[in-house]
Amino acid sequence: MMQRQRESSLIFILMVVIALFFLLPFLWVLLTSLKPEAEVFSRNFLPTTLQFDNYLQLFHKIPFLLFLRNSVFITVISVIGVTLSSSLVGYAFGCMNWRGRNSLFYFVIATMMLPMQVTMIPVFVIFKEIGWLNSFKPLTVPMFLGGGAFNIFLMRQFFMTVPGSLLDAARIDGCSELAIYWKIVLPLAKPALATVAILTFMFTWNDFLGPLIYLSDKAKGTLALGLGQLAGQQQPEWAVLMAASVLMMLPVIVIFFLFQKYFIQGFTMSGIKE
Amino acid sequence: MKTSRKNTLWGYLFASPWIVGFLIFGLYPIFASFYYSLCQYDVLRIPQFVGLRNYRELLFQDHYFYSAVWNTLFYTFIRSPLVIIGSLALALIVSRAARGVKFFRTIYFIPSIISGVILSVLWLWLLNPQYGLINSALQFFGLQGPLWLIDPSWSKPAIILMNIWSLGGGRMLVFLAAIQNVPTHYYEAVEMDGGGWWAKFTNVTLPFISPVLFLWFILEVIFSLQVFVEAYVMTKGGPLNSTLFYNLYLYNKAFDDFDMGYASALAWLLFILAGVITFVQFRLSKRWVYYSGGAEK
Amino acid sequence: MRSKTLKILFWLVSGAILAALWGPAQKGDAQQQVHYWFVAGVKDNIPPCVTWFNESQDSIQVVATPIPWNEHEKKVLTAILSGNPPDVVNLVTPVPKWAARKALVALDSIIVADKLDTANFFPALWQEMKYRDDTYALPAYTGAFALFYNKRLMRRAGLDPAQPPGTWEEVKDYARKMTRRENGKLTEMGFIPQYGNIETPLIIAFEQGVRFVDASGSRVDLLDPALIHSLQWEHDFFDIYKVDEVTAFMGGFGYGNQHGFIAEKVALFINDNSFIDQIQKYNPGLDYGVAMIPSLEERPSVSAAGSWWLAIPRGSRHKRGAWEFMKFVVSHPVQLREAMSREETLFPVNRLAAHDPAFLAMHPYMAVFSDQMEQTRSKSITPLVHDIFWREFSLARERSLRGVLPPQQALLAAEKTIQFSLDRALEYDHYVNARMRTEEFFD
Repeated sequence: MMQRQRESSLIFILMVVIALFFLLPFLWVLLTSLKPEAEVFSRNFLPTTLQFDNYLQLFHKIPFLLFLRNSVFITVISVIGVTLSSSLVGYAFGCMNWRGRNSLFYFVIATMMLPMQVTMIPVFVIFKEIGWLNSFKPLTVPMFLGGGAFNIFLMRQFFMTVPGSLLDAARIDGCSELAIYWKIVLPLAKPALATVAILTFMFTWNDFLGPLIYLSDKAKGTLALGLGQLAGQQQPEWAVLMAASVLMMLPVIVIFFLFQKYFIQGFTMSGIKE
Repeated sequence: MKTSRKNTLWGYLFASPWIVGFLIFGLYPIFASFYYSLCQYDVLRIPQFVGLRNYRELLFQDHYFYSAVWNTLFYTFIRSPLVIIGSLALALIVSRAARGVKFFRTIYFIPSIISGVILSVLWLWLLNPQYGLINSALQFFGLQGPLWLIDPSWSKPAIILMNIWSLGGGRMLVFLAAIQNVPTHYYEAVEMDGGGWWAKFTNVTLPFISPVLFLWFILEVIFSLQVFVEAYVMTKGGPLNSTLFYNLYLYNKAFDDFDMGYASALAWLLFILAGVITFVQFRLSKRWVYYSGGAEK
Repeated sequence: MRSKTLKILFWLVSGAILAALWGPAQKGDAQQQVHYWFVAGVKDNIPPCVTWFNESQDSIQVVATPIPWNEHEKKVLTAILSGNPPDVVNLVTPVPKWAARKALVALDSIIVADKLDTANFFPALWQEMKYRDDTYALPAYTGAFALFYNKRLMRRAGLDPAQPPGTWEEVKDYARKMTRRENGKLTEMGFIPQYGNIETPLIIAFEQGVRFVDASGSRVDLLDPALIHSLQWEHDFFDIYKVDEVTAFMGGFGYGNQHGFIAEKVALFINDNSFIDQIQKYNPGLDYGVAMIPSLEERPSVSAAGSWWLAIPRGSRHKRGAWEFMKFVVSHPVQLREAMSREETLFPVNRLAAHDPAFLAMHPYMAVFSDQMEQTRSKSITPLVHDIFWREFSLARERSLRGVLPPQQALLAAEKTIQFSLDRALEYDHYVNARMRTEEFFD
């Protein structure tokens, strides 16, 4: 018992030390966002006076609420699209047995290996041909079509740890594949779904290049695009930039904090044992 | 379970979102980039077919190609294991139901949500040899820190360090999800046999999360081979081309030099390289990856 | 279990519907609008010249859209590719780089028809607007370089602050006198040739008339003895310092008040006129002066500059409106008014504005910049492989500076790579020119 306690307090100290390592730089971003511009590059870690001027300025520099609305729209749609479709496809690769499955799976993996720099322009041309430029469609619709090789792979690997006996039992009971996917596998895969959701959220939320080339109307801009705007040219105003990035980060931190509970609800909590 | 015709139909049906997406948005770009790799092409003008010339020039005349390959392989093989081991350790620590663990998880996760530009500014500051936080800390312990990004022999390690910091939390998340999926009664079994945490880790955790671990070995290699943003923003490939990574070179060719044909040839060579490494990994995986359920292998 | 999944789904779907309802509505386009894309600074979200232009007449409405600096070339590239580009763009990368790719509309016919007086532009800037024999853009703003010197540090080293260095030999000499060490570590330096945006050896080479390419522009020549000598000068500057210790010293420089010159760690520094504002912002008490860029004995002082320019991308639907706006922006009164109203001074490209007493009155040293602008060379040397040229030139410099290769060999390696790429580019250019034409203004 004593040893247990000592062990856990040791781990606690370790966690604090690691936290400092991760937190200090972030703290710098936070503190810089509260400094006047002239103090940004001084060696003082702490600002001489706390001021929220940079945050207020933000609202003058970019149409913050409009951009927020656009970002939320694109992100929510994308998260739904990716979690739904990648789990569906991941189920096909991870839980079902069918001819051509492995070849197709390797093919999916292979699509990750070609750098996007060279496919970006042809993809752009496709969207141009179907008339989707300057709309949110290029940023959202493809999310419902598999959600990308990365997410499919991730879901597949998780699904492959679902006990096969469970699935076979359900099949013998006459459950359809769709029912097994929806009623058995998805509930078990909550940690994986949450992971995919968070990673997709982060990616879409911070995506700069996509909105940049597909959206031309200023009214359609996203927060990441606005932040890129602030990063500006020769002499960006760093303090305002830091304020903007703190605001960008907040929703992700909140979402993460809320979604966390799904990580501690795996097999352990659902009470299903082989 | 047999691969009956019905199963195959269902399989394709479930996979159809990806297949449809690929046919619409994926097929043409892949063909186009391959065709361009056989051309001189600058995106704004018509392509000129030149056969295998781009590949020939790359392999036999372009010394930057080889330094880019070297830089990238160095980066890939040092970085990938470090990121995986580091984030796995993090995940193990925060997978315990200790007090405040939720809070710590959030903190560890924070660096991975800092977006590109800020991340680079932040690290340029941290890595500043004179007054950066890192060298100041080293000085506190009486050590003289290196010049980091301005020293050709430290620039790659500096970028790797930044990567571990900024990616650790995100990867931790994935491993955490996997660890939480390990059925607890296996641990109880080990405990009954008198095994400690190491025995639990090697006999239960590791085999159970091996599919996810494997996934990340594959992904980290693919991602590392395509490393770009860090070098693009912080070093532009310098000093003395020590951070001229493959994709940075490719980017320079495609968008600074408007040589999309050459860039496409570079892309396809990288595709082959990544394919070979991944193939080897899949081969090796049969020896160590354990799938507890699901379909037959 | 199931109800929980359903609950999540419910929230997700309702979130999506909400987001969809909340989503932005389409906006109809008004007519006779000229779309103008400019790379955004933080200041001046809408450039004042746009407002003035719209106020000055009724038939054309310029709609200005800022685009982010990061990846802005990709944005313009894809816009041209989409067939629906803006009508005017404001870019800084060399005109020939875009013109060679037939991305811009040739303007010669309208320049002649409108009798635009092009002699008012600084010659080096005007020359950069051309590719082969055609003109593709109008220069709009530039940055004028000059030598900034710290009077206090000069005085302390026993030098006369009224006599800034005029030759490179003096620079070297003064630099030594102003360099200080504490405990063997550098704490202040007189001059660092590789610190700043302007390439010192390039300036020295320009002074000696180095051309870098032959008259046809198809053969690169980096083995000009004068160029080798320029790199050698930079290398020899380090005979009493070690490159590594200077590099480490420079590692302590940053932005703002950590800038080497602003923090008074470097006494001589070549920079453009916007640096005045930086000094004002971060160290208003700094006692400094501005002088012409030094030169070799008996050689003229030379600078290098590029410009922000305005051009009409191919496929534009309102070329006439775009042209009227461009003419307006580069005119003397507008250039003057804009230079004086911007928070950060962009230097006028119009010589009438740059030498206008009202403009010169903005700052005691403004005239130095205007004079220096008259003696400026273009950095557009091999437009077809512009970036490769400068990447290779920097690498050769870095190799020579760090002693990896002697100047001659470093330049030889660079010449080979540039020539190789140039041959490729020329061949492709030739192929395309036989099959594709450039858009003219009156097409």
